[in-house]
Amino acid sequence: MLIAALAAAAAASVLIGGSALTPHDVVGALLHPKAASVANTIVWQLRMPRVCIAAVVGASLALCGALLQGMLRNPLVDPYLTGVSAGSAAAIAIAVLAGVSAALTPAIGFVAGLAAALLVATLARRGTGIDANRLILAGVSLSTLFAAIVTLAIVRAQSNDYASAIVAWLAGSMAGRGWHDLAATAPYVAGGLLLALFAVAPLNALRVGDLRARSVGVDVDRAQWTILAGSSLLAASSVVLAGMVGFIGLIVPHLGRRFVGSDAKMLVPACIFIGATLCMLADAVCRSVVAPAELPIGVLLAFIGVPAFLYLYLRGA
Amino acid sequence: MIELAQVALNAGDRPLLEDLDARFEPGEFVAVLGRNGAGKTTLLRAVAGLHPLARGEIRIDGSSVAVLMPAERALCVALVASDDVLFEALRVRDVVAIGRFPHHRWWQWHERPDDEAAVGRALEAVGIGSFAQRFFATLSSGERQRVWIALGLAQDTPVLLLDEPTSHLDVRVAHDILKLLRAQANEGKAVVCALHDLNEAAAYADRIALLGEGRLLAADSPEVVFGGDLVERAYGIVMERVRLPDGSLRLFTRNGAGGRVADANDQNC
Repeated sequence: MLIAALAAAAAASVLIGGSALTPHDVVGALLHPKAASVANTIVWQLRMPRVCIAAVVGASLALCGALLQGMLRNPLVDPYLTGVSAGSAAAIAIAVLAGVSAALTPAIGFVAGLAAALLVATLARRGTGIDANRLILAGVSLSTLFAAIVTLAIVRAQSNDYASAIVAWLAGSMAGRGWHDLAATAPYVAGGLLLALFAVAPLNALRVGDLRARSVGVDVDRAQWTILAGSSLLAASSVVLAGMVGFIGLIVPHLGRRFVGSDAKMLVPACIFIGATLCMLADAVCRSVVAPAELPIGVLLAFIGVPAFLYLYLRGA
Repeated sequence: MIELAQVALNAGDRPLLEDLDARFEPGEFVAVLGRNGAGKTTLLRAVAGLHPLARGEIRIDGSSVAVLMPAERALCVALVASDDVLFEALRVRDVVAIGRFPHHRWWQWHERPDDEAAVGRALEAVGIGSFAQRFFATLSSGERQRVWIALGLAQDTPVLLLDEPTSHLDVRVAHDILKLLRAQANEGKAVVCALHDLNEAAAYADRIALLGEGRLLAADSPEVVFGGDLVERAYGIVMERVRLPDGSLRLFTRNGAGGRVADANDQNC
């Protein structure tokens, strides 16, 4: 069912867009990718990369959320706990203010995001492992600090263009992203996914507590570092591709548990599918509902996703 | 076989136990007794490789616990702890199946027939086969304790360590669990079990390891350990000894105001 939903969402995302293309035009472009036509350019250079990026961003954030919530045994944890998005936001805000070339801002955001995650992890370290409470406190504290830097940058921005650029990035959007952005982040997404796969079995054992997990042979310290590294790579890649996209990393793991339970062997693939599906659909709506302008995806997900989730969750509780 | 050689254990920076020399053989049920804070839990965790040694060495079948990889160690020794941590809404069977973790490589996500058999045996052994599909959160504290024991059994190790497995259990279930552990020892496992009830230990254990005064006071048969004044030294309280018709010793505290033995360990209560 999840695979079918993903396929349907992908098809809908390719069909929907600001430009008036008929389904026949879209199918023709898909079947003849090398043909020279306006439809081909729109489908293969604009819509398909957006669809793929949306799928990657949604899947990455949902997977991050599942990993961190499982590791910390806390249902309120989201992918940005590690400080990745706040660190990226602060670095990008400063870069925009400093007039750094727009071509460099994704790389700056990526490196800064990983650096912030490393700082949070270092502060959370206890012995050879991670202390859960310290991780949460360090992540929240540093995110607050970085958010203050962003606010200062917006206030100090000498022109509305600078402020708008920072705010647009904060709101989350895949506008202007293409195949080259996807290719640049692909190795890091793949690395994060591989680390996540290593973490699936330990994640199941961690559900019964660190002591019992150690007793059944889990190297808890290594599992924690693996999860932190994997989720940082995935979150940083998502930030580069789409800015700050909230809701998905926090809520999709809960949806996943409602569908398949908490066994990580089922939950991890479920989160990947659900996250990708939601993000593709949301992006399709964002770029079509007020075309030619676009809604920020983070705003759309919050306004529609949160009430829908609360309704489903409270009705089922 | 478990061997402790000149082991010293700390609780943080505070010395807890010193000069521990002992052997626990396969097929033996050893009860670890001592006051609260004497170091029973710490000792079990050290044997399981989950607490660092201040000095000395612990070997399991000749291999030092400190150098074994976590998965290797988990194939040798299972620790059944008594804390109660659970985040997700898990079913009983899923919890017990976690005990099969050391038998899998990281890519082996699927449950094999031998896993299913081990989990089934563990559930039946502790008498919870009928609520394998119940959610853990719906169980009583005694039922949860049985689930933790089943998890340890599903791990299928030659050494089984249990930290107060009969706490929260009524007398009937406690008897069943101790009988099960006795049977596990009879089948060749080395069973080491921290207990509070001296008479449970006397009834089921082959030997008693008595902790007190910061060391191992004795590791011998119940007859020897309970026969002298070692229990008084360990607990700081005078015990009445009663011999049952079968010749075994049982201990009870003396009623009334008299008989409390003052000792240097009183501040450890």
